Amino acid sequence: MSTIAEATARGQTRRRMRIDGWRWAGRIFLLFMLLYTAVPMIWMLITSIKSGFAATQFPPQWWPDEPTLASYQKLLDPQNSVGQDFLRFFWNSLFVSTVTTILSVIVAVPAAYAFSRFTFPGRNFLFFAVLLRNMFPAVIFLVPLFILMRAIGLVNTHGSLILTYLTFGLPLAIWLLKGFYDNIPVQLEQAARIDGATRFQAFIMIVMPLSTPGIIATAIYSFIGAWNEYIYAYTFLSKNEQLTLPVGIQRFFSENTTDFPGLMAASFMMSVPVVVLFLVLQRYFVRALTEGAVKH
Amino acid sequence: MAHVVLKDLVKTYGSFKAVNDVSLTVNDGEFVALVGPSGCGKTTTLNLVAGLTSITSGDIVIGDRVVNDLDPKDRDIAMVFQNYALYPQKSVYMNLAFPLQMRKLPRDEIDKKVKEAARVLDMTHLLERKPRELSGGQQQRVALGRALVRDPAVFLMDEPLSNLDAKLRVQMRSEIKRFHQDLKATIIYVTHDQLEAVTMADKMAVMNGGFLQQYDSPAQVFAHPVNMFVASFIGSPAMSLIPLETSTANGGTALTSAEGWSLGLSPRNVQKVTKAATKKVVLGARHSTIKLHKSAVPGSIPAKVYTVEPTGDVTFVQAFLSGAIVNVSVPPNIAVAPDERIWLEFDQERMHLFDGETEMALEAD
Ligand SMILES: Nc1ncnc2c1ncn2[C@@H]1O[C@H](COP(=O)(O)OP(=O)(O)OP(=O)(O)O)[C@@H](O)[C@H]1O
Ligand SMILES: [Mg+2]
Repeated sequence: MSTIAEATARGQTRRRMRIDGWRWAGRIFLLFMLLYTAVPMIWMLITSIKSGFAATQFPPQWWPDEPTLASYQKLLDPQNSVGQDFLRFFWNSLFVSTVTTILSVIVAVPAAYAFSRFTFPGRNFLFFAVLLRNMFPAVIFLVPLFILMRAIGLVNTHGSLILTYLTFGLPLAIWLLKGFYDNIPVQLEQAARIDGATRFQAFIMIVMPLSTPGIIATAIYSFIGAWNEYIYAYTFLSKNEQLTLPVGIQRFFSENTTDFPGLMAASFMMSVPVVVLFLVLQRYFVRALTEGAVKH
Repeated sequence: MAHVVLKDLVKTYGSFKAVNDVSLTVNDGEFVALVGPSGCGKTTTLNLVAGLTSITSGDIVIGDRVVNDLDPKDRDIAMVFQNYALYPQKSVYMNLAFPLQMRKLPRDEIDKKVKEAARVLDMTHLLERKPRELSGGQQQRVALGRALVRDPAVFLMDEPLSNLDAKLRVQMRSEIKRFHQDLKATIIYVTHDQLEAVTMADKMAVMNGGFLQQYDSPAQVFAHPVNMFVASFIGSPAMSLIPLETSTANGGTALTSAEGWSLGLSPRNVQKVTKAATKKVVLGARHSTIKLHKSAVPGSIPAKVYTVEPTGDVTFVQAFLSGAIVNVSVPPNIAVAPDERIWLEFDQERMHLFDGETEMALEAD
């Protein structure tokens, strides 16, 4: 008896130690990942408040001797040519990303709802086709899309980017939202229709509010995708006043030799909308990813 | 309140007929239960009446209107769903108010009606809660409340009690019955629980495989099932069905078993079996109409005990007879043991005879 008890007790401690070992390994790994992602950001922030000279010093100043917001002032000053360019790029990016986001929500919501609720000929094929697009790397479509854009006269317009970003963002958005609608019992709509709503009202008044987290997640996803995109913006646009931030920053600062504090300040300001958006709405984002995926 | 008429109602999904030529009339103020096994088309039928599914052919009349092409909202009906379908983002108050808001009632009138419904259903203290903060029984009440605030012509209920535990179900059963009596409401009530149907309904419609089998009062359905399906579906424990053959020997007609025994019939029952087109006859008997004897008596049939289930009030004995299992109830003071030899005596007046081919009940003139 006692030997069995001892043996199991020993087994348990050993198992606990093994679990603890894994847990610690996990923590160390996460810490490593955190450093890996956070250090460049911190360095970016620190560099952005250095003077041009301090930024290129070696050994580096870990904390600037004379922190300055000069770079930010320069970038945000509409009087100065650097500021004019930066603000224009920022505005371009904001415009393209916002329009992409709005359009993709407008298209994805009814599309996902239809895939979830209705049976129609070609439904499965269509749904598969939507996902198929995501199985190829984006660059594959670069040349064909460029030719297409030229044919319909959209090269050098923001429209070309918006269209392209939609084709990239929509498949996942539809898929994500469909998971959401699948989990909303159809009886809720039926109840609403019996209670006096039309089909459309039932959707707007009952189903839409329940899928808000999914819609918000879709919106964040589209916005971030469009905001960060580089290759297509680089290919489709050539006029300086049309550039979006990723291309604009790269081009602009490679021309002005290397104004590292300026570059870092611009990069920092470019990440602000994404980070803010994410921090404010991450609650919904996480809920969307888990709720959409798990049936309950 | 209004009556409801279904006429030759058909619903097909592709080539599959979920509802097959169902015709029935629900009179004003009647409580009709739609019963049948899972997948027999009860929900589909109810959804057709509600207008949630489009009909393939046939007519539905509510009140004096043919409602075939009307939207659910224009049919003047209310529905209670099995999973309650309460709006999760709305408070109980707003759940109850929703149907009234959709009908554009003035705010103070809505308030009055919601509070009245809450008072009737004894849930005034729950009005500010969200549905997920309620127990199953409370949610069920809210669902009922949402149906009744509107004072509709017809109530449709799809297994409203099946998610409740046994005790609460019995309690809500009497509440719904009471509610029907007080309001004189026309109710169509779907359930797969035959006991619920028998205890609550004025009439029951027994369905199987999309077909309406029988539509009558519970007492009639119980006493005169039209076919073997209805006979075995209604009543618990189920009616025993024993396949036999008609034989005529020295002038008398009897039912004989492959086991070698034969059972003489009363003149009325002889009349029934001689009218059948086939020699195959199925004998049906409910547990309470069979007498159990420990020794042979005239007219009794030998059988062997399979299991004995004492329940306190009565003891249910299952016995093997001619390849079928027969349920018999005996008083608890009679002791029988498994594998014991017993003799069963059937009540000629209360036995059922079915055509072995068509499974339809055999009738005398
Ligand atoms: N949208 C649909 N498409 C295809 N077949 C369907 C559809 N809805 C129901 N059916 C089929 O119709 C039949 C009847 O379904 P219904 O839901 O009416 O059954 P039910 O009697 O309510 O059963 P339960 O007691 O399980 O609720 C089932 O065989 C079902 O598979
Ligand atoms: Mg059902």
